[in-house]
Amino acid sequence: MADRLERLLNLTATLLDTRRPLTLDEVADRVEPRYPDDRASRHRAFERDKETLRELGIEISVESVDPLGGAGDVGYRIRPERYYLPELDLSDEEREALHVAVTAVRLEGDDAREALIKLGGLTGESAPAVADLPASPVLGDLFDATAQRAVVTFVYRGEDRELEPYGVVLRLGHWYVVGHDRARDAPRAFRVDRIEGGVSTGGAGSFSPPDAFDPEQYLRDDPLLFGEDRPVRALVLIDPARAGWVVEELGEEAVEERRDDGAVVVGLDVVNREAFRSWLFGLLDHATVLEPPAVRDDVVGWLRAVAGNEGDASHAGAPA
Amino acid sequence: MSPRAVATERLRKVLALVPWILAHPGAHLDDLAARFSMSRRDLERELSLLQFCGLPPYTADRLIDVDLRGDRVSIRLAEYFERPLRLTASEGFALLAAGRAMLTVPGADPHGPLARALDKLADALGSPQGLVVDVGGAPNLDVLRDAAREHGQVEIDYYSYARDEMTTRRIDPLRVFHAFGAWYTAAYCHRARGERLFRVDRVRAVRATGERFAPRPEADRHDELVYHPHPDDLRITLRLAPSARWVPETYPTEEVLDEPGGWCTVTMAISERAWLERLLLRLGPAAEVVAPAEEADAAAVAARRLLARY
Repeated sequence: MADRLERLLNLTATLLDTRRPLTLDEVADRVEPRYPDDRASRHRAFERDKETLRELGIEISVESVDPLGGAGDVGYRIRPERYYLPELDLSDEEREALHVAVTAVRLEGDDAREALIKLGGLTGESAPAVADLPASPVLGDLFDATAQRAVVTFVYRGEDRELEPYGVVLRLGHWYVVGHDRARDAPRAFRVDRIEGGVSTGGAGSFSPPDAFDPEQYLRDDPLLFGEDRPVRALVLIDPARAGWVVEELGEEAVEERRDDGAVVVGLDVVNREAFRSWLFGLLDHATVLEPPAVRDDVVGWLRAVAGNEGDASHAGAPA
Repeated sequence: MSPRAVATERLRKVLALVPWILAHPGAHLDDLAARFSMSRRDLERELSLLQFCGLPPYTADRLIDVDLRGDRVSIRLAEYFERPLRLTASEGFALLAAGRAMLTVPGADPHGPLARALDKLADALGSPQGLVVDVGGAPNLDVLRDAAREHGQVEIDYYSYARDEMTTRRIDPLRVFHAFGAWYTAAYCHRARGERLFRVDRVRAVRATGERFAPRPEADRHDELVYHPHPDDLRITLRLAPSARWVPETYPTEEVLDEPGGWCTVTMAISERAWLERLLLRLGPAAEVVAPAEEADAAAVAARRLLARY
């Protein structure tokens, strides 16, 4: 055990210190405690060490040591620029503030704590939990791709997508990745927890994000109201029992009329009929669509269909 | 932990520890143990191991020089470890996300030490604008946070969404926190005579009663944010069209049976009728109640009731 740790440390030091790639024979000649003499077990032991270092985020680059650049012997080294943390120059106070944040905000896994240990450890006060953030195994890769300016590909709702990612955004309890969808040649936002399987990252530097990019712009509207329908202004009567709530939710500017009994009429720009119905039905018996006829008819037609066929799914035209 | 995982964890710690000691000669062992979350015994074990590590050919001038005097330690001859290992993609993301979330909590200082640390971190990670965290606010958030901090009892008008009903109750807010995209307060409710969770955006009004409550440790109730079905709750089985696939992705289910063509049959526990009606109205023809038989017309009944308004 101690031998293994000692060899891993010495291997890291040797590969980091060397100016040229070292072949496996050279590594085995130098690094102590010794690798096995038998070629096959030596190779296995070295591969296992390489894998352990990779798990920690240490990349061993494999390079040709053939002076003619052919595919002969390969050598190994750790490129310093891929190993060292850039100088962050954190003050004690700043490090303590990060520590408070890491203890107060819960994210699945230990990554934030591990990061802080690399930055000089855990110091100062911890704090009671203030927020829980959802987690997803692909978030780190997506965020890294925004930094690398690398195109990502993934499957979303059964389709292959190719995205130039500009940013990762947490909004209303869900993570989104926003950017330029290459196939559609248009800005798009994708909910990260609906990405099916993993994310593949292409080469670095393959696009330029817009200057002064504000990822939130892509999600500025309520995602529920995201849609492709043409916006229509709908007027909805809210009864006195829920009027206060709805005004708080939509803002005072949505109020079109206040009635004596305490009811209000609010105006909404409907861009997605399905999302609108979902909002409306959330209010159950407390809301009625007044105008325009097209939206009112859509809601009435929907309710008639549900009232009439008693929810027989075999008639399902999938709702738009 | 497997021996291999133990070696990985120990190596991870050592690679963070050495650069710190190099930059802080004479560091105190107690401070190091706390900072790197190790026992003092483990720390001393790693320091003695380090003396046998270094570069080939492992002569005295190539080995790491660990100078331990009393409770203080210095390290020399380890220049190749003078800076820590860079952050992995997941580590960088997690730290920045936690920090950014903390910074959007109402009351955070947008120019304080946390904000400065995060700017440095985002620059080093190469993506100053690539991560935005918005935990949002709620109209009565500040007043409830103040009440929790000052142990002030309040009376609230509260809307229960699942039951679609409004109540007024006296509560002792113990803590206010954000989860699943919403703010909650964990409070002792005098009406229910027990601890309850309230969603802050459903708190309609807050009035101080003038009473103080004795601070008390609050049970960790995060678990309750996820709906845990009661054995007596109604179990409903729905057959769902492919367009309703989001239902089992969004709500807790007890069983999901996939069928060819993207259809599925799900069984879920339902605690409140209003919740079921909303779901069925929203799904419309994309859902059919399979069981129990007496709920087969639940959607139709709700739809007829709403139609009466038109």
